[in-house]
Amino acid sequence: MLNWGQKQPAPDAGVGAPPAPDFTIASSLVFPKFLSVVGRREHPVLLDLGPVIGSNVQFLTERLTCKLHIEDLFQEIEAAARARVRQGLEAALFKRLGQGPESVDGILCWDVFDFLDRTAGVALASHLETLLRKGGALYGFFGTTAVDLDHYTRYTIKREDRFELRPVPATPVKRRVLVTREINMMFEGLMSADSVLLKSGTRETLFRRPA
Amino acid sequence: MNIGKSVVVKGELSGSEDLTIEGVIEGTIELRQNVLTIGPSGKIKAQIIAKAVIVLGEVHGNITATDKVEIRDTGSVDGDVTAPRIAISDGAHFRGAIDMQRSGTEAKPEGRSAPDKAPPLTGPASPTAGVPVR
Repeated sequence: MLNWGQKQPAPDAGVGAPPAPDFTIASSLVFPKFLSVVGRREHPVLLDLGPVIGSNVQFLTERLTCKLHIEDLFQEIEAAARARVRQGLEAALFKRLGQGPESVDGILCWDVFDFLDRTAGVALASHLETLLRKGGALYGFFGTTAVDLDHYTRYTIKREDRFELRPVPATPVKRRVLVTREINMMFEGLMSADSVLLKSGTRETLFRRPA
Repeated sequence: MNIGKSVVVKGELSGSEDLTIEGVIEGTIELRQNVLTIGPSGKIKAQIIAKAVIVLGEVHGNITATDKVEIRDTGSVDGDVTAPRIAISDGAHFRGAIDMQRSGTEAKPEGRSAPDKAPPLTGPASPTAGVPVR
């Protein structure tokens, strides 16, 4: 989906050779900054909007000595896509996000906004803003090409500046492309702390709530 | 000690030896100095406090461990987990929050943060990765 990073080369492309791995490795410039911001807070609270990935749990909890809420919004998105009913998606997303206002120091959005329409995207962004404590950080990816998204991506943290990206089948949805201005407007209560456009066309972004 | 598949316990369960549960428990489980293993057939609806907890079955309830919590690939936990070490295998189900508590440390009250002295977050991007967008 993201075509981000380099495909791992197969050791041998001949007959009988093992199939090429179905993952890519990607470098990150912005994620270390997210860790730096959140890691300066004492026993921070993190909210991960992606699926449960054991090694990510281990990495984040050991690195940050944090409290980690995992709320896999992709389950709700997939359920809505399968049912071909977008109405009510916001309500389903909010139902999973039971955290109180200003109770979270860091939010990992991954690429969740690529899978949301405008209404749901704006509503979610606005809600996430309310969850962030002052000085907190929000990290996410935004695709820049309008394509049908036929898989989700599992982001496994290999190092603080390296992810393994593994595709997971999804009911196809059209990606809504957001330009930088639209993204900034969506998070108007936050300040854009860093935004890097990767060669793949994916924008890696860090927002912070002003202290 | 084992609690077999046909055993159903409703109430408080406590002890001073390692325990493996294959049956059904509803209530509370307290094994502060010992290891609790929820076997693949185990179904727990309880608050759990133990030295270490290994989950291969189902748990509905909060788990607190002074050493570690492991959720194996067949395991399922709906509840909050508090422990200094946590391992979740691929394929395991987990729904809740994970609170990493170092041994001997107290949780900081909600709503307070250490002073934020984060450095400026802007900087030159690697040419191999892309260009910064402002």
